[in-house]
Order: sequence, then structure tokens, then C-alpha cells
Amino acid sequence: MRSFSSAPLIRSWEKPTNNPAVSDFIKHPVVPLPDQSPEPVFFEEDLVFTDAEKEQIEAFRAQYPTPEGAVMKTLWLAQEKFGFLPPEVIHLVADTLDIPFSLAYGVATFYTQYYKAKKGAYVLDVCTCFSCQLCGGYDMLHYLEEKLGVREGETTEDGLFTIQGVECLGACGTAPMLQVTNGSYVHNLSREKMDALIEALKNGDMPPFVSVTLPQDEDALDGNRRSDVDATDTGRTPPIAETLE
Amino acid sequence: MPSPSRNGSTKAGDWRTYERVLLPSIRNLHRFDVYVKHGGYKALRAVLTHTKKWAPGNVIEAVKASGLRGRGGAGFPTGLKWSFMPPVDPGTPRYIACNGDESEPGTFKDRQLMEYNPHLIFEGILIAAWAMQIDATYLYIRGEYADWIRHMEYELGKLYTEGYVGQRIMGTDFSSEIIIHKGAGAYICGEETSLLESVEGKRAYPRIKPPFPAQKGLWGRPTTVNNVETLACAPLIINRGAEWFAGIGPEKHPGPVLYGMSGHVERPGVYEYPTGMLITDLIEEVAGGMRGGKKLKAIVPGGASVPVLRADMIDGVTMDTESLREAGSMMGTAGMLVMDEDTDMVKFLRRVTRFYHHESCGQCTPCREGTGWIENLVTRIDEGEGTLRDLDILLELCDQMEGRTVCALADAAAWPVRNTIQRFREEFEAKCRQSIYAMA
Ligand SMILES: Cc1cc2nc3c(=O)[nH]c(=O)nc-3n(C[C@H](O)[C@H](O)[C@H](O)COP(=O)(O)O)c2cc1C
Ligand code: SF4
Ligand code: FES
Repeated sequence: MRSFSSAPLIRSWEKPTNNPAVSDFIKHPVVPLPDQSPEPVFFEEDLVFTDAEKEQIEAFRAQYPTPEGAVMKTLWLAQEKFGFLPPEVIHLVADTLDIPFSLAYGVATFYTQYYKAKKGAYVLDVCTCFSCQLCGGYDMLHYLEEKLGVREGETTEDGLFTIQGVECLGACGTAPMLQVTNGSYVHNLSREKMDALIEALKNGDMPPFVSVTLPQDEDALDGNRRSDVDATDTGRTPPIAETLE
Repeated sequence: MPSPSRNGSTKAGDWRTYERVLLPSIRNLHRFDVYVKHGGYKALRAVLTHTKKWAPGNVIEAVKASGLRGRGGAGFPTGLKWSFMPPVDPGTPRYIACNGDESEPGTFKDRQLMEYNPHLIFEGILIAAWAMQIDATYLYIRGEYADWIRHMEYELGKLYTEGYVGQRIMGTDFSSEIIIHKGAGAYICGEETSLLESVEGKRAYPRIKPPFPAQKGLWGRPTTVNNVETLACAPLIINRGAEWFAGIGPEKHPGPVLYGMSGHVERPGVYEYPTGMLITDLIEEVAGGMRGGKKLKAIVPGGASVPVLRADMIDGVTMDTESLREAGSMMGTAGMLVMDEDTDMVKFLRRVTRFYHHESCGQCTPCREGTGWIENLVTRIDEGEGTLRDLDILLELCDQMEGRTVCALADAAAWPVRNTIQRFREEFEAKCRQSIYAMA
């Protein structure tokens, strides 16, 4: 009968090799691999959830039959706390939920709204999709790029703003529009509106929730139907596109 | 006075006097007390107290008789879908996954429903929960709608304190939970099986069907997936009767619909009207006509995935499954994009292909690679480096993608390419002819 050796398992790519071509390939793979163990950004002692947060996570867990179910909500909570999700934060999430790191990491990397890298204090997600493209989404994006002096996907030097062109955000009736850091929507963009927005954000004022009036309500209710929202917007005058791309 | 529509009458009946029911004009309807004051939760109470008249099977029959079709894009008859749920087995939990992912470009109606009439959604979910004897509903809302999720959670919290959801609803023996699940930015999560994976806390890779969700859904248990607007129709059917619902709009695709008008129109936004509206009425009268008096060039009737229609193809076409199929398109989500004469169709298609390339989950080779190649080719044509042969390669690529993948995203990516090229071929050819590589 064969017996299994108790020697530690050596994976083929960890074996020392004398073939220069092979070792070279291992050092320089054809497809660049992501940095698998980057320098941690956060100190170990900061990587904890407070008791209140732990309680919240327990509440998430109670909503699903398996602990994995709560992973998306816990990642959201972690991102709101730490700003983004480097591997050590994902580790913390996985350990708190008692699920494998690979599972949590897989989820975090699947969805675009989980930030895997540090972004600016305000992320300006300008919609350039479909309706917004036709109504000047790219004009707005280019205007922002010019104004802030960075390209799409980049962060300004002072770390305040990151600009991104994103897919449809579900507000096509008020195109072009943008979203600030996974939060407020700013509808019916124009250059003036964007100037004002940047000024406000520099002062730390997030734009308020704005309610979009239904055109039929304008006829029937003479304005917005929600009295708990001061800021309302109608979908009347989007600027005409100068460029589509 | 608005002028009468071109061919006199429409399938939508006298839509000008249509009274809104999904988004009726009542101030602050999003609040629990206002909703209740205007007859809210009457349908749920009726169903839960008259359990003989409204036995689960009878509710499903009523929904079948109403002719309600899914508003999420595929247009599947809702009552029929509900009847696919297997018989109740006391040991096995049953779920609803309510689809509020709404990432289809050009679609923004579910968000307005969440903003202005969230309790209609909750009531609809609970009626569906009764009809299928559901233990818990996961209401999936896309992560971008953070503000609306907050509002919905607030109103849902009120429902829990009022005892309208959770254990022993309204003091009856029926219990059912609602849990809001926040997405995190992935179009594919709108696909029903991908949505299930996402709720289970996994990477949202669509599943191979069969088994269908009714057999093996969330955690392998019976599950029904329905769009937010679809479920919001349930209380209306209970309150006013299936015949009333079936009498709105065309016979084969009845009911109120939220039309999302966007693009080059004077008054974009969400409008509630019966199904079967003439497309020309929607553009000219409902949405205030073309912006700046420009000429109409093309429309996309129901979100980016459905085929584009040229202006000369929409005469007499109405917004329902049958009429749009004859015209060579689909109803989709009823989010209509209107394009004026200045629109560059190559640039338009380029952006659409970029969307699908970005959103392909990468599970199937034809879709992962195909969407990328399509984007590359259309970009090349747009940049003035294309050849006429590229157009044929594009159409061939579409053949290779359609019907060969796990989910319908690959088809949804191929249709706009095929149809935009076929219907605006001159424009594509013109760009290829100007190209630096043009052949004779
Ligand atoms: C790629 C893809 C994306 C989809 N996105 C959505 C969506 O965002 N919202 C939605 O309600 N349905 C979406 N659907 C349709 C769903 O798969 C499913 O048919 C629908 O939610 C069923 O609900 P209904 O019968 O009430 O329409 C999508 C389908 C596919 C193939
Ligand atoms: S068709 Fe595309 S989106 Fe759908 S499962 Fe396959 S790769 Fe994913
Ligand atoms: S296309 Fe920009 S919000 Fe839909």
C-alpha cells in the first residue's frame, strides 16, 4: 500500500528551479497579477469594529439564513467606516462574519461600488450612459476634468475629488446627472450647477436629497407632492449635447 | 387642446382622462399614515381577513385573470409565474425576491415608485406573500439608490411597529418578513438568478436554468422573482377587481404602466398611462414633443437591451408586446429613449456596447469575449479606422453570442448591435468609407 509522506506540501511554483526560463516566467507572468499582499494601509489596532457596529452586524446576520448573506451589508458598513476596502479590511469583515476571506474578497471585487483603492474625499460619478450621453453627459465629464485638472478615474492632488464616468444611474429623465460618493444624486447638470457643487463640496456641504417632480404632478399638484423635501427639480431643460464622446 | 392622435383611437382608450393608480396625485403619499388614510392596506386586510374568498389559490387566479405581465423586462404573465411555486411543505421556507435593481439604461420608473408610493410596493409584496405562502421577501435595491433605500427602510420600520409585516400580520395567523437588500453596483444583479446569488452573499454569477427559481431559488428553496412595479399592481387588482385591470389598455397586455421618457424630448420624466399608448402620442403629447423643434430620428422603446426603431417605423405602433413585436422591437421596461436628427448612431452604439462590455459578468466565453470584441470593432469604426468588412464581422459576432450563454445579457448585448447596424447601415458604411483603410 502506498503511504502518504508527511513532508510539507510544496506547490510546484514554490519549488526551486534551475531552469532560468521557468523561473523568469514565474517572476514575470504573462498576465500581471494583482499585488496579493500589499503593504497594509491601516494599523492593526484600528482594524476593529466597535460594539455598536458589532451589534449592527449581528442584526444583518439575523436577516439571512447563512452568515454569507450578511457579507454585502457588512462590506458596506466597513467601507463607510474605513473609506475603502483594502485586503486587511476585507479580512476583518470575513473574520467578524466567520466566513472565508476568499469569499468576502470575491464579493468585494465583483461589485463596482466597493472601492478597492483609496479615492478622493468626494467621488463624482458622472453618468455618461445612454440617455445622459445624448443629453450632454460627456460634456459634463469633460468640463469637470478641465475644471479640476485631472482625467476620468483620477484623483485631484489635494485628495478631495475623484472623477469617474459611470453607467446608467437610473435617473435618465433628469439627464445629465451625477452622484456624489455613492450618495446624493445631482440632477439636470449644467456648468453653473457643477461650479456651485464643487464650491459647496469644498466647504464640506454634501448636496441635499433632491426630489424629482413627476411631470404629471406638476399639472395635478402644482409642484412637488412631497412636503418633507424642500429641494425639487423638474426635468425640463437639460443642456443640448455638444459632444457625444 | 391637444390634437387627436393620428389614427383616431388607440388601444390605450381615452388616455387623456386616465386616472393614475400607481402614482395617484396625492400629497405625501409616501407616508404610512397618508397612505392608510387613502385606502392603503385595505387590499391586504381584505385578503388576510376573508381567507375563504381570498384563499391563496383565488388570489393567484385573480392575478391570472387580470392579465398582468411582468414589468421587469421579459413581460412574463405574473399569475402563471406565481402558480409555478410548488405546494407548501411545512419544513421548507419559501421566498420572494423582489427585483428593484433597475440598472437597465433608460429605466428609472422603479425609483420614482419607491420615492412616491413605497407602501404600494410593500402591500403588493405582502399580498404576493399571502398568495404563495411566503416566509420572507428579499427586496433587492441597487446600491446607487442609497437615499431611496434609507427612505424605504424608514417606512418599512413603521410597518413593523404597526404590525403590518413580520409576525402575525394585522393580528391574523399569517406571518411574513420583508428584508431590504442593498446591491453594490452591478447591472447583472437584475438578472433573476444573479440576483439570487447576490442575496446569498456571493459573486453575482447567473445560474443555469433549469432548475428555475420556483424549484430551486434562494438557498435552494422555492422562490419567485418579480419586479417592483409588477408587485405594486397586486393591491390594485384586489381592490378593484381583475376585470377592471384587464380592461385597461390592450387585451393581451393590460394595466397601468410607468413610462420613463428620456432623451431629446421637452418634458422627460416618468408618466403613468395605460399600456398600449401610441408611441407618437407619448413623444408628441405626453412628453411635450421633440426638444428645440428638431426632427425625430429614432427611439429605443424599453431600455438599452431592446432593438432601436427608426422614426419611419413607429407609425401606429403602440406600447404593448404584440404591436412592438410586429414593429421589430420589444416592450422591455417601457423606459423610452428618444433621439433627434443630430444623433450620431455610431457613437450611440459605441456607448451601448461599452456598457455591455463593462457589465458582462465574465462567466461565459461568448459574452465575455464577444462584448469586448464588439466594443473594439464599433470603436474602431467610430474612430474612422473601420472597414466595411467590420460590419459583417460584427453581425457574425452577434450570431456567435445569441443563445449560447448562461443568461440573456449576451442576447441583450447582441440585439442593439444587430438592429442598429441593420437599421442605420448607411451611417455605419459612411463612416467606414471615410476611413483611412477604406477599400474602393
Ligand atoms: C441582463 C438582465 C438584466 C435584468 N435587469 C433587470 C432589472 O434591473 N430589473 C428587473 O426588474 N428585471 C431585470 N431583468 C429581468 C429579470 O431577469 C426578471 O425577468 C424579472 O425581474 C422578473 O420580474 P417580472 O416578471 O415581474 O418582470 C433583467 C434580465 C436580464 C437578462
Ligand atoms: S451571458 Fe454574460 S452576463 Fe450572462 S452569465 Fe454569461 S458572461 Fe455572465
Ligand atoms: S443614462 Fe444617465 S441616469 Fe440613466
